[in-house]
Amino acid sequence: MGLNNQLTRTYRRFMMGDGVYLWLLLPLLAFVALIALYPLAFSFGISLFEYRLTDPNQTKTFVGLGNYLKAFADPSIQGSLQATFAFVISTVVVEIAFGLGLALLLSAENFVSQFIRSFLLLPMALPPLVIGLVWKALYNVDFGVIAYYAKLIGWDMGHGALATPGWALPAVVLVDVWEWTPLIMFIFLAGLKSLPTEPYEAARVDGASRWQSFIYLTLPLLRPTLLVALLLRTMQSFKAFDIIYATTAGGPGLETTVLNYQIYKVGLVFFDMGYASALANILLFIVGLLSVIYVMVLERQQL
Amino acid sequence: MQRQSRLEKSFLAILTVVVLLFFMIPLYWLLITSLKYGRDAFALPPQWAFFTPTLKNYTDALANSRSLMYIQNSLIITTGTTLLSLALGVPAGYAIARTRWRLLNSSSFFFLILLMVPPVATLIPFYLVMRDLHLLGTYWAVILLDTAFDASFVVWMMRSYFLDVPQEMEEAALVDGASHFTAFLQVALPLSIPGIISSALYCIIYSWNDFLFALMLTSPKTKTIPLGILASFSAVDISWGQMATLSVFAIIPAVIISLFLNRYFVQGLTMGASKG
Amino acid sequence: MKMKLRLAMWFSVLSVLSMVLASCAAPTPAVVVQTQVVVQTQMVPQVQTQVVEKTVVVPQVQTQVVQVTAPPQPTQVTKPYDGVQLSMASMTDQYIQAFRWLLPYFAQQTGIVISIDELGYVDLRQKLVADFVAHTAQYDLMTTDIVWSGEFAANKNTVDLTDLIARDKAEIQPDDILPVMWTEGEYQGRQFAFPLGGYANVLNYRKDLFEAAGLQPPTTQEEMLADAQKLTDAGKGVYGIALLGAGSAGAQDFMVFVQQHGGTILGADGKPKVNTPENVKTLEYFGSLFKYAPPGNADYWWDQRETAFKQGKVAMMEGWSISRNDYEDPNISQVVGKADITKAPVAQGMQPKYGFGGWGIAINADSDKKKQEAAWIFIKWLASPEVQKEWVLHRGPPLRTSTMQDPAIVKALPWMPKLLESFQNGDGNYRPRIPQYSIIEDALGTYVNSFLVGKDTAQSALDKAQAQIEKNWK
Repeated sequence: MGLNNQLTRTYRRFMMGDGVYLWLLLPLLAFVALIALYPLAFSFGISLFEYRLTDPNQTKTFVGLGNYLKAFADPSIQGSLQATFAFVISTVVVEIAFGLGLALLLSAENFVSQFIRSFLLLPMALPPLVIGLVWKALYNVDFGVIAYYAKLIGWDMGHGALATPGWALPAVVLVDVWEWTPLIMFIFLAGLKSLPTEPYEAARVDGASRWQSFIYLTLPLLRPTLLVALLLRTMQSFKAFDIIYATTAGGPGLETTVLNYQIYKVGLVFFDMGYASALANILLFIVGLLSVIYVMVLERQQL
Repeated sequence: MQRQSRLEKSFLAILTVVVLLFFMIPLYWLLITSLKYGRDAFALPPQWAFFTPTLKNYTDALANSRSLMYIQNSLIITTGTTLLSLALGVPAGYAIARTRWRLLNSSSFFFLILLMVPPVATLIPFYLVMRDLHLLGTYWAVILLDTAFDASFVVWMMRSYFLDVPQEMEEAALVDGASHFTAFLQVALPLSIPGIISSALYCIIYSWNDFLFALMLTSPKTKTIPLGILASFSAVDISWGQMATLSVFAIIPAVIISLFLNRYFVQGLTMGASKG
Repeated sequence: MKMKLRLAMWFSVLSVLSMVLASCAAPTPAVVVQTQVVVQTQMVPQVQTQVVEKTVVVPQVQTQVVQVTAPPQPTQVTKPYDGVQLSMASMTDQYIQAFRWLLPYFAQQTGIVISIDELGYVDLRQKLVADFVAHTAQYDLMTTDIVWSGEFAANKNTVDLTDLIARDKAEIQPDDILPVMWTEGEYQGRQFAFPLGGYANVLNYRKDLFEAAGLQPPTTQEEMLADAQKLTDAGKGVYGIALLGAGSAGAQDFMVFVQQHGGTILGADGKPKVNTPENVKTLEYFGSLFKYAPPGNADYWWDQRETAFKQGKVAMMEGWSISRNDYEDPNISQVVGKADITKAPVAQGMQPKYGFGGWGIAINADSDKKKQEAAWIFIKWLASPEVQKEWVLHRGPPLRTSTMQDPAIVKALPWMPKLLESFQNGDGNYRPRIPQYSIIEDALGTYVNSFLVGKDTAQSALDKAQAQIEKNWK
């Protein structure tokens, strides 16, 4: 044993399969390194400086962790974090539940179900900007159709869903649900299709009700699918931007200013790059932490 | 499954209708608004079916030859991004799936992190780099940045997919004397075509609808459809007709996908299901 | 199974290919402006025959003639900048139609070809800043909002035109240009953008509703509040007034009312002081107007306010004069022939001053010398009295006193004399044209809205806005 063996192993690895694998992987790694590494490094680095993009002298003053401290002390950032978590949790939970329900509802292989499923690709395919603008028009309390019909059944929507504190975030969540639930539905559909049939037959023989076989068979068997859906949707939800931009522009007040939107404001409206990068890193850290948790659960699942 | 009672069946039918209405009404609204005159767009009570239709919005949008330019640019950028992402991501996904080398295996997490980064953070430095390389405003600027993210996604998808593909066929080929590379090219790749198509579909949808990167990195000549839509959203008046027209164009790939390649879209999502 | 797969693949490949080919086969957009106009051989300096006898501006201006004919060959006159190509970034306000109409004539007369990129408000600012910061000179000419004057000037993004204006005085006739117009682009005594034309903040009102109620349009702010109350009939779905409530729109409307109450958001030292007692009172007054506005007004941006008026839901609406024409367009308006404008009311006893805004046209400091000179030629051409007449008739905002008094123009656009009066007493500074303007606007936008939806009192809203401004001040 020892060094000689190690070398032989590496040599073998290289010359046999793993060498090819390295070459197959290399183009992408090199590409990403070239394209993304500098921006990422810049973003990490510049967060330690005070730097305004529009400054004609382009001065960069080193402030160490100043930007991060400023972020933690800033009440609007705390509000942003609250809004972000509220948004992400609501969208993910609702979409997963709704998506699973839809998948079960439309899992039949008849013509009607297939037809409906095809249509459900469309919400995802529209540019999110358009989706936001359409929903904004629908929500408009003076000219929109939602308020009109609400009034007919006696529900006065006041200033309108998007302008009423406490209602704005749920309203935006609804828009996101509209856009992305079909994706979750498709994910669960795929999962459902790959479920084995024997356990269900056995359960029927044993006299289990449909509800029971759902709870005790379907749900556990769908765990891997569920985790994939969770991971995907959570990551995307943290990055939500277009919808908020188009419907509320962060309002009323600061209620729908999720962290990603705040980063946009600070970075592309005020051009305060140092602070924006610090906020971006904070967001990245949060998402990263959550993803690690998901993946650890997932890995455990595979064993 | 046990039979459903008639009550249950009708309940489910109603539920289906409600769900369908929920998803279709905004789309229908957009469509009919594009066919209405500006003065009727917000008339109350809402006119769902009986209104004075007009094709004026469409003729206006098409007469402005920019619309065709937007479509052309979107096509070029999306095709470029998809092809490049696939070319880079598929082999990488295969490599990560098959290798037993821990180092290569765990590089997949690096790509995952890339997917988590808020896009704004990478945009400005990338913008400055592109400026220095004189690539600003070219198709390449958008294609390169989009690919960095899309390819990471492709890697993840293809990795899961290849983990699902049984290795026996490749091993048989190896036994027959083929190299690993040939095994990849001639055995694994053809088996994974549905997965590749699904990855391609994801790339297409994400880059087709991107607006932030396109906003910062394009020149007036390389503007894409989402930017064209943004331009119809001026401070004074939203030109719904124009926006709806462009949205209809924007939605065409999805319509094609849904009608013909529905199956692969679904399948693409399967891979994560069993192996993660 | 395999067959279907192959078919599907081929179909998608073919459709993608055909789309690409189709779009390639389409005529590549010429560098020349995208408008379709039938070009005449000589620009007619007099009023065009599009003007009809009524006050309705014929919608012909908006629809396009689909023909594309190339401008005739240049004449023998030497054109020193012949062949120069410029790119211009323009806001998609109404005047874009005037640009589309005029640019071919300019190309024909000087050989300078300008291609125009049409952008919305937010993306215009971002593209301009990105262009300036990276020194890429993607745009040689740009329309700049009056409030950006300080920002671009301080960062030396646009060319200082002061000396050029002095040099070419005879050509420009600056005395004919109303003094207030120069605020579009002025900073610390020097001119960094040339005025494109003015927007007066006016009061649009429904003369039919006022007549029916036996009222005259209000001349003071107090009267306006009273009139709004009298004209509100929630049962019928008609309200007294429409305002702006959200984001930067809300901020700007608040600043308008500050101006109309004789206040200011700047302190004596030139730094912002938004939470003075007078401003708090003004914000409360602003809030009281909302009682007579449509329920959703707290969320209105500019387009929704316009919709409210165009759909006939409100009796009054303050707004920029440039939109006046829109209400006469039967394609988009339900109140054709029922609207009129009057000077925006100021508080009782106040010396009348009217809100002024608009756009300037600037030259990119990073463009190369020749392009800058060609750009300057365009600006002078555009500002010349003959071209101005065409400009105004095609929805451009007015610039010159002579244009606004021209009988043919007044005939076509009868509200010009009222605008003239507004301009003569115009105040272009009620929104501070300082480099840090965006910080002020953002803070006010957030907290004015917060007040309107009931989350804050007027005092706390302005206090918070002031705190945020001070925190972000650079």
